[in-house]
Amino acid sequence: MNETVKVEYLFKSYGKKTVLDGISFELKAGEIVGLLGPNGSGKTTLIKILTGLIKDHKGSVLIDGEAPGVHTKEIVAFLPDKSYLPDWMKPTDAIDYFADFYKDFDKAKATEMMQRFGVDMNQRLKTMSKGQQEKVNLILVICRKAKVYILDEPLGGLDPASRSAILDFILENYSKDATMLLSTHLVNDVERVFNRVLMINNGSLVVNMPVEEIRETGKSVEDVFKEVFAYVW
Amino acid sequence: MFGKLLKHEIRHSARYNLVIYLVAVAVTLVMALSLITESSALGAASCFAIYITGFATVIVTLVSVIKNFYDTLYSRQGYLTLTLPVKSGQLLASKVLVSFLWIIVGFLIMALTWVSIFFYVKEQTQASFDVLKILFTDSGLLELLPSGFVVAEVLLVFGAIVLAKILTYVGYIYFAVTVANTRAFQAHPKFFGGVTFFAVMIVISKINNFLTAKAPVTFFVTTEKAFFGFEPMGAVDGAIISYGVGGTLFTGLVALALLVCTAYIIEHKVNIK
Repeated sequence: MNETVKVEYLFKSYGKKTVLDGISFELKAGEIVGLLGPNGSGKTTLIKILTGLIKDHKGSVLIDGEAPGVHTKEIVAFLPDKSYLPDWMKPTDAIDYFADFYKDFDKAKATEMMQRFGVDMNQRLKTMSKGQQEKVNLILVICRKAKVYILDEPLGGLDPASRSAILDFILENYSKDATMLLSTHLVNDVERVFNRVLMINNGSLVVNMPVEEIRETGKSVEDVFKEVFAYVW
Repeated sequence: MFGKLLKHEIRHSARYNLVIYLVAVAVTLVMALSLITESSALGAASCFAIYITGFATVIVTLVSVIKNFYDTLYSRQGYLTLTLPVKSGQLLASKVLVSFLWIIVGFLIMALTWVSIFFYVKEQTQASFDVLKILFTDSGLLELLPSGFVVAEVLLVFGAIVLAKILTYVGYIYFAVTVANTRAFQAHPKFFGGVTFFAVMIVISKINNFLTAKAPVTFFVTTEKAFFGFEPMGAVDGAIISYGVGGTLFTGLVALALLVCTAYIIEHKVNIK
């Protein structure tokens, strides 16, 4: 498999505080990779760098062979941890917006998915529940045929029953030959979907391991997570 | 892609502006109604309301320019806007163009409210305007006015100066809001945004005033013609108007420089919360 994302010696600091301390990893096409770590571990900074929101870092980041920029933004579908759509928008407006800017966006599929998930196409986002807003955001992102999906806490605001349904929705609908990086703290709910996990602690990559290898040791991803981040509790 | 950016920028920003424009239209209609019904109480109230609405239009437009810029780039919507597959220069240019258009529309509506007040007052006090007209004609002031062609040239030049000033203020606003949303200043963005805006404005205004008075690039208007000269203001005898344009040229260049800096900061230094 060829790598879609290649990060080498990535270093980022805010003043004297080092947030990412020379991390390196590769993500391959078709992989679903879990990005795990406690709050403040550097996950969000890493995601911001991969999505091109932070550029003043050291080290190399290549997505589809290019540094984050206009080309990588064309092929990366990004879902932040909070709704990023303007409150005044209705789902129809949001679909038009995505269709205008992303060539890989499947408008018909998004419309169908919104209806299937009971989203009122003419309701303004500000009058929707948090869960409904998250569904709208997620549908828009997943209905892109992207090469890389970066999902930051996609299940954060959902109840346990919805989490499983949303996870199934992601798995059924994302582009299967794409790479997915999924950041979450709900390890137990999501670990069944991961091919590999990256665990970040204080800006360093402390675990980069296929889930299969973890299971061969008789442990679950959650067990490893608890071992690595035991100090947090 | 630039056309799509413009389309969505207009859709996004129109929500604030259209409301105040509709209010201005409604109040103007009420004033017209007061003339038809000859209701002086309604006329006075609507005249006052339209005067306030005129100013409110400009204020609402300026506030919406600042709010729209901040919301779409530096609030949570920034995660959407700044991950669009477009260059930051294109993004900024679309915002500048749309803000520029709204500000012009805002000022035009304010001017129209004044014109409507003028016609209302003219309708109510026909005699006093006739007196003014007689005074103006008899004093010979009318003969001192330049020809229609020269007036058109003057309007064109001063129109361009006004547009350059608007562009400059858009540049100040965008630069200040952007600087305030870098990691160093974003703990108190309103404070640092305000400080940056006024600091840049005061410094540039001082240089602008100096260059307007001293730089030997002047727009002269006589009764026969309008022309630019490489001489200081007051150097041409018989000029009705002489206006130094060195300051305007300088602030126009500063506005462009500020926008280039803003695009650079957006690309490299901005930190979305």
